[in-house]
Amino acid sequence: MSTATIVVLVGLGFGVMLVRRRSFAIWLLTAQSLLLGVAALTLAEPGSGMVVAGVILIVRAVALPGLLVLTRRRTPEPGPVTPATTVVVRLLVAAAVSLAAVASVPSLGLGDAAAEHGSIALLCLGIAIVIMRRPALLQLLGILVAENGVYLLAASIQAGLPFAIELGVVFDLALVITVAAAFAAKIHAEVGSGDTDLLKALRD
Amino acid sequence: MTDRTLVLAVLAVPIFSAALVGLMTSARAADRLNLVTSVLTAALASTLAAIALLAAPGEAATGSWYLVDASCGVFLALVAVIGLASALVSPAYLRHAGRGWLSARRSHASYYAAFNLFWAALLALPLVANLALAWVLIEATTAASALLVAFSGKRSALEAGWKYLVLTTLGLAIALLGIVILFVAAGGTGGGLARLDWSALAAAADTLPAQTTLVAFVLIMVGLASKIGWAPVHNWLPDAHSEAPPPISAMLSAALLPTVLLIAWRTKLALEPALGGAAVKELFVGFGLLSLAIAIPFLWRPLPWKRLLAYSSLEHMGILALGIGFGTPLAIAGVVLHVAGHGIAKALGFYAAIPLLRQDPAAAESPPRGVARSNGSTAAAMGISLMSLAGLPPSPLFVSELMILLGGMQAGLLAVSALAAVLLALGFIGLAHALIEGLLGESAGRGRHPTPRSARAVSLLAGAAAAALLALTVAAYALPDSGIVAALTGGSP
Repeated sequence: MSTATIVVLVGLGFGVMLVRRRSFAIWLLTAQSLLLGVAALTLAEPGSGMVVAGVILIVRAVALPGLLVLTRRRTPEPGPVTPATTVVVRLLVAAAVSLAAVASVPSLGLGDAAAEHGSIALLCLGIAIVIMRRPALLQLLGILVAENGVYLLAASIQAGLPFAIELGVVFDLALVITVAAAFAAKIHAEVGSGDTDLLKALRD
Repeated sequence: MTDRTLVLAVLAVPIFSAALVGLMTSARAADRLNLVTSVLTAALASTLAAIALLAAPGEAATGSWYLVDASCGVFLALVAVIGLASALVSPAYLRHAGRGWLSARRSHASYYAAFNLFWAALLALPLVANLALAWVLIEATTAASALLVAFSGKRSALEAGWKYLVLTTLGLAIALLGIVILFVAAGGTGGGLARLDWSALAAAADTLPAQTTLVAFVLIMVGLASKIGWAPVHNWLPDAHSEAPPPISAMLSAALLPTVLLIAWRTKLALEPALGGAAVKELFVGFGLLSLAIAIPFLWRPLPWKRLLAYSSLEHMGILALGIGFGTPLAIAGVVLHVAGHGIAKALGFYAAIPLLRQDPAAAESPPRGVARSNGSTAAAMGISLMSLAGLPPSPLFVSELMILLGGMQAGLLAVSALAAVLLALGFIGLAHALIEGLLGESAGRGRHPTPRSARAVSLLAGAAAAALLALTVAAYALPDSGIVAALTGGSP
């Protein structure tokens, strides 16, 4: 996969961390997932398992955001949830986390150093999004950004793609994200907002 | 019935049960159908476990995706017993659970459908012969069990379920990255997905690149740690265990955590030849000590009953990590004993919460006090559970902890064993204090309901659990020389 594509993929991950509106964040995630699927398809040799995997990635790129758009419509917010931190702080944290992770993980020797770094960066960005963003829907997007990091590595290194995509996509799509979307809707119904900061009763 | 047929039956019955019970419109019909199918599931799983445990040492029935060996037998038996016991007490919980997340008419059917899917995934986990398949099943447990954690629909339960779902899914994403890296690293061995079979990974030890394999191993372990509940990635554990319905808390603590631990253990056994023992040992010992150190202060605090049991799970998962890290036959014998003893004692503790919370609802938010004065049978169940978990002789956990610590000394890790012994002693004091205050202390003086019907069922389970715990203590003397321990120390993959 080209370095430029990987940079754009990581950049879109940063976007999910930074934007305030849930709808905009969903579009950024959709763009990231679609780009990943298209990139996988362009790398595939005709008739290989990579083509199937690329198609599955594209289906995922459309279906999951579709589910999230539906969830967003079912959970209208009076206005964007006020972020716990400023955009500058989030940008700095995202950059620091990504750079630290890339620097600390040794070369894996899998044949594509840029993809290795991009994958680790996206994984860490996803984790940072879950930690720093308050709306439940944005936390879900963080999980998907992290998983896109896994698929980036799998797509870049041909031997790794088919099974990882099949495993990840089937279970994301059918189970976990569906359940998580149901949770997001239930949380909204219970507290009148998707702001997970309103759910902080459990402390020791 | 062949092994393959039996394996398929063990998984098919709870899945069909989930589909059937989900269609029930009557709560009573759902209760009865679930009891029947649960007995059948447990009987099939116990038969398979017995076949695995009675096979000659080192012999394992294998298929394209499953492996029925001694370690599978231990964990399968545990999941079968805990699943059946949870099914038996579930009607008592549901009778007073209210409408929950779903409508009152559908709540029993939905609960049992999710319960059976969760149980099916848990039964499949000890059987799988492949790391990637294991990942799929662990992810599957998350979806079903998250719904069960939030079953009550209360705000705190939603918080716990959401936290559990998000944190464990993120953890599993990290593990998936490790699996992809390992899959690519093992590329030279060919074989498609089968290159992630436990046996294939162990056989490929000479060809796996050390540094890449180490990174993959660490990522997989960190990911699995989030599901096992090892510190520092344990944050979901106290909340999910305390907010879930008690039968589900028992499944989470006594069945889910140990079975995911088995996957971590199998991964360790498979990759240890490629990585060398030191790095692997350090990682497990690190998780173990950290989990113990973080759990102990909470065991000293006055906590609500289920939350206390949740932190005790963190402590016990830490002990198990230490035992696996030490890796000597004595320590592994201790681990096997500890898994079984902890499962029975912890499940009993959670079941005791059903009559406890029915009689004194305030005990959900504050520590129980003087339970023996108001409800002797519930107090007996709580006492058996907590005395066993604290490691008070003749609890099998006293023997298992001793075996693990001695195993650590055998492995040359004297300082680690000494530190663990100090932490365990501190944990014992904390639990002993909770035991005395909770059962024998001054009554909290809160408004109490009459003794609930569920107290009788729990007292019967307490009798059975006490007998099983004593039997385990006796069996401990034969365990170190058994085929089970030989298999788990590398005798078979």
